[in-house]
Amino acid sequence: MSIRRKLPALPSLTVAMLAMLLAGPAMAQQKTEITFARFFGACEGDYGTSQDVAHARGECGVMTTLVNLFNATNKDNIVVKPQIIEWGPYYQQLNARIAAHDIPTIAVMHTSQLGDYTRYVEPLDDLLKEAGIDATDFTANARAGVTVGGKIYAMPWDTHSWLWHFNVGLFKKAGLVDAQGQPLIPRSVDEMIAQGQQMKAKTGKPYIIIATSGAGDFANGARGYYSWLYDQNGSIFPNGYEKADFKTPESLAAFSAYEKLAKADLLTKGLDGGGAIGAFLNGNGAVYLTGTWRIDDFLAASAKPGSPLSEGYTARVFPNLFKTQSVWTDNHSWVLPKGGTNAETHKAALIFLKFLWDHNFDWARGGGHLPARQSVMAEYAKLPLRQYVVDIPTFGRALPHEVHRQFGFQNMIGEEIANVINTGKTADQAADAAQDRSVALLRGR
Amino acid sequence: MESWHRGRSLGDRLLLLAVMLLAIAWIAPIVWVVGLSFKPNEVLMRSTGGIIFPPFTLKNYTDILAASSVFGWMANSAIVAVGQTVLTLVIASLAGYGFARTDFPGRRVLFVLLLAALAVPEQAVIVPLHTMFAQAGLHNTYIALIAPRLAFPFGVLLMTQYFRAIPAEIEEAALLDRASRLKVFWRIVLPLSIPAQATLGIYTFLHAWNDYFWPLVSATKPEMYTLTVGLASMQTNFAQTEGIGFLMAQAVFAGLPVLILYLFFQRHIVSAVAGGGAR
Repeated sequence: MSIRRKLPALPSLTVAMLAMLLAGPAMAQQKTEITFARFFGACEGDYGTSQDVAHARGECGVMTTLVNLFNATNKDNIVVKPQIIEWGPYYQQLNARIAAHDIPTIAVMHTSQLGDYTRYVEPLDDLLKEAGIDATDFTANARAGVTVGGKIYAMPWDTHSWLWHFNVGLFKKAGLVDAQGQPLIPRSVDEMIAQGQQMKAKTGKPYIIIATSGAGDFANGARGYYSWLYDQNGSIFPNGYEKADFKTPESLAAFSAYEKLAKADLLTKGLDGGGAIGAFLNGNGAVYLTGTWRIDDFLAASAKPGSPLSEGYTARVFPNLFKTQSVWTDNHSWVLPKGGTNAETHKAALIFLKFLWDHNFDWARGGGHLPARQSVMAEYAKLPLRQYVVDIPTFGRALPHEVHRQFGFQNMIGEEIANVINTGKTADQAADAAQDRSVALLRGR
Repeated sequence: MESWHRGRSLGDRLLLLAVMLLAIAWIAPIVWVVGLSFKPNEVLMRSTGGIIFPPFTLKNYTDILAASSVFGWMANSAIVAVGQTVLTLVIASLAGYGFARTDFPGRRVLFVLLLAALAVPEQAVIVPLHTMFAQAGLHNTYIALIAPRLAFPFGVLLMTQYFRAIPAEIEEAALLDRASRLKVFWRIVLPLSIPAQATLGIYTFLHAWNDYFWPLVSATKPEMYTLTVGLASMQTNFAQTEGIGFLMAQAVFAGLPVLILYLFFQRHIVSAVAGGGAR
């Protein structure tokens, strides 16, 4: 009976279904799909459908909600399909994709890698204009990061840099605070060693926590080395990019700063990243060397009553122990790999880049990096502790783009510094080893 | 306990004790991994000890299951692992039998080449292999994920040696009765080689299931990721410090299907490996 009643409805239902079937492909054809290769992880559990960018936390959270928001709200029927890769082998996979002509529309790239890829990515000077992105709004650091040979090859996304994170409670206990209760920042290597010895004598804790034993931890030592090298206006390529020189007085002074800390037993030895962060959160060290992206984690930890950081936590730019303040920096940026777009996806890619650019502050707030836009820097400086790091884009430095295989250099230098810290290698021996090893890195340049 | 002690020499008891200690040493890290996988990441940032004390959480597992593609990645891994295992067994068995029992021109040269191939590391051929599959437009297909691993010199060597150890007289009787080589292989030799087949099958399956590097560079579309690549893609950039529980849950999740398979086929696997080793 019920079937009979439904039968008269069948023709119209069939027509409706046919219409949907016919319209479906047409509707689908109107969508423009662009691929978006990135690391930063996947977090569908927390942010699977969220579009609440303002409350997203962490790199993954912000990126996921930004894509969700764009896919839900853009008026151009563009669908961004993330292609997420583990951070470690990201560039190996990107190389493989370029070789296989399986090229993503947009890809994330560290600007330290950009020099290796200029043949494979589109110059963006004109495209940024076409997208409505004002390149004069780039911070000095971001502009330097994305510009190779006078041409812009990427849309900058942030600046990330290297800080000293302080357990203020331990600094107070050691008597190393100023009248405002803020930690005293050393201004020379000798002052740093003296402070460290005072810290050790008064608290029994190591002065500096640094991770040096995990495969991904070697960058830590290298970033400090670069920062101290740049403080002296030094370079590992003083005579062109064909040959590195790790034996310059500036380079030796940077290696030597680590050697002095290690010999005075003021550094943690043999810790990996997990062990190092655990040591800092448990109050087993006064200063933790890590990046800008950790500020919010440590602020949250310090807000918990009874936490070893509850007596105070703050962060400062990596201290200048030499002549002029500088610090290691790198940037995340977005590139358009050559061959990754056609006429349709090209326009869609530019629309999405503009959307990202408009949300650059959200990335800086939630992702933990400094913005790439000057125009949002004042807003960024209002975030907790950011007033101490907001000037980094004006004095931060990176290796020139003419230096290829920069991650190779970073790992190699970091390994040598880990040797200084963990095995008692001298600064001279580390510099000699770096010198020898640089030959292989520069081969075939 | 009484019956356990009765009739055993001191040497046996010491041996058993040593085996038990080794088993504990072997299983302890696994128990630790499982324990960590049920702990909140924020807690593990401070300490990775104390896995038996609360707080506990299922979030690390629900985060994995929340990934819309995770069962697709698992299916891809299963297709690739089963495909590789079956085809490797077929190819290695036929090639091994050929080397062991037939005489053909260039057999010795081919066998030397096969042995030489054992010394070639995967990394040495990855670029030409990738280029070859790129030129054929085969990346992001099951063919690309399965085919390169079918050239498995160790498997051919293993089967060759196994077939050589089977007395030739067993086959000769059948050959005298005018059975074809293929029939002899299929009806007589293959059933006798089950232990070696099982050993090779287990080894191939585990290798395929755990493979990371080739799927990473060949399967670049998320829908073609295998479980190892897919799970790794979910890790945040600082997973080693802020996502330890999640990492451990991934390890458990990826290992679970293999463990379940082992539980089902435990008896066969143990007897196969024991049988293979006995030869």
